[in-house]
Amino acid sequence: MISIRNLSKKFGTKEVLHQIQLDFEKGKVYGIVGENGAGKTTFFRCIAGLEDYEGEISSHLTPLKNHLGLLLTEPFFFPKITGKEYLHLLCQARGVQIPNMEDKNIFDLPLNQYAATYSTGMKKKLALTAILLQGNEYFILDEPFNGVDIQSNILITEIIHQLKALNKTVIISSHIFSTLSDTCDEIHVMSQGSLIKSVQKPDFAILETEIKQMTLGKKLDKLGLT
Amino acid sequence: MTNRHLRDAGIHPLLGYVGLTALFLGLSVYLFQSTEFAPYIYLLFALSLIGNLSEKRRTEFLRICFGDSSMKKIRIGENVMASLPFIAFLLYQQLFAYMAILLALVILLALSQFKTVMAWTLWTPFSKRPFEFTVGFRNTFYLFILAYGLAVVAVFQDNFNMGIFALLIVFITCLFYHSKAENEYYVWAFHLKPRAFLLRKIKTALLYSSLLALPIALLISYFFYPNMGIILLFIVLSWAFLISMIVSKYSEYPNEIYLTPSIFLALCLWFPPFLLIFIPFFFKKSEHRLSRLLK
Repeated sequence: MISIRNLSKKFGTKEVLHQIQLDFEKGKVYGIVGENGAGKTTFFRCIAGLEDYEGEISSHLTPLKNHLGLLLTEPFFFPKITGKEYLHLLCQARGVQIPNMEDKNIFDLPLNQYAATYSTGMKKKLALTAILLQGNEYFILDEPFNGVDIQSNILITEIIHQLKALNKTVIISSHIFSTLSDTCDEIHVMSQGSLIKSVQKPDFAILETEIKQMTLGKKLDKLGLT
Repeated sequence: MTNRHLRDAGIHPLLGYVGLTALFLGLSVYLFQSTEFAPYIYLLFALSLIGNLSEKRRTEFLRICFGDSSMKKIRIGENVMASLPFIAFLLYQQLFAYMAILLALVILLALSQFKTVMAWTLWTPFSKRPFEFTVGFRNTFYLFILAYGLAVVAVFQDNFNMGIFALLIVFITCLFYHSKAENEYYVWAFHLKPRAFLLRKIKTALLYSSLLALPIALLISYFFYPNMGIILLFIVLSWAFLISMIVSKYSEYPNEIYLTPSIFLALCLWFPPFLLIFIPFFFKKSEHRLSRLLK
């Protein structure tokens, strides 16, 4: 379980996260939605310990970061490192030995090629494979479905289901609502650094309609498309 | 861009340029005093530096903005400008033929473009423990070929200094593998405490740099056996500077430019015993700096 109490974060004088209170339980999948700039990525970075913050973040397994698999929106890769070496690096970082790396290559990635030559989706799949191999208990997946093909989308959805079955805690952000409604037990809506709403699975359809209305409003009318 | 980098590091651009000029002149003079092959090494070094301007995406950007003909003129101008310090030094050395060759080659380079990431993967002996030596070896493997070649020539010409110079090429190249701060994700991901993390980095660097230097060390030790003490001294000093480089980097992490340790490192170059104070001090500072990411 991860507990977040009174989490606030400022960049200079600008407050980007405001008094967030949340609990993420074991064996559950949580979705975080919000417009660009709502503070989702900063929120994730605070949980991971990549940002300083005010408030308290605690977990059963400590330190949290050593049990956390963090998939960034745009994972960074060194220019001349192969997919296999990247997996080695991330596993060694957590003291995990994987004898047959090729067997774990569920996305059929060209592991002997430089990761920097991969497409956006392939990079995401490589980064996801790495954090899965690390054997983490908690997962933060920031836009895991971005740029990924349909087949891999299905595979990632199944992986999330399996992580849930294994009693892991998974937090996901996505701009594709269907991917969240397929995987999450609960969705939290974030706006301007605050959590404004929490929705349970039975009410996801209502939330989707609300988000559509909020997003579209009369914006299309302004365009005056004829 | 250079001005911005210098200002970000808290250096007045004028001071930065004076310092860089002094460093460039110092290294150039040292090279030409050390070996008769200096002009070749100098040309190779100049071309490998200026070659960075021929990166494919950069050239494409210039082509989109200015059109094909103007892009070529700009690229030739850039390369000639960048080669001016080298040309000036070759002129000072009265090496007119090398000067002309360099000028011709940089113009040729301006009309070429390189991909920074190759489609084919270069084998490296450091694949099992990424990333510094894995990436570094792939970027600089040709320097090791050069250093090994130089060591063989040193033996044939009975030139011990050239052998030491070859050894230093290897270690200096390895120093640069630790010159740039990595993305914080690659520090954060480690489950180690700062001390263990630093020791791991140091252990890997010492092991792998020694592995690269081993052929040269063995060769010159065998053929210049009476100078064994000097060879060992240079190896130990190189290890010390390698450790200094690592602790310098992490003492200012995640900043990319580390001014204070660089000044101290320069002092250590002038008087190496300072390293005995420098290393423990900056090791402690690195531990403190890394404690934000490594808990």
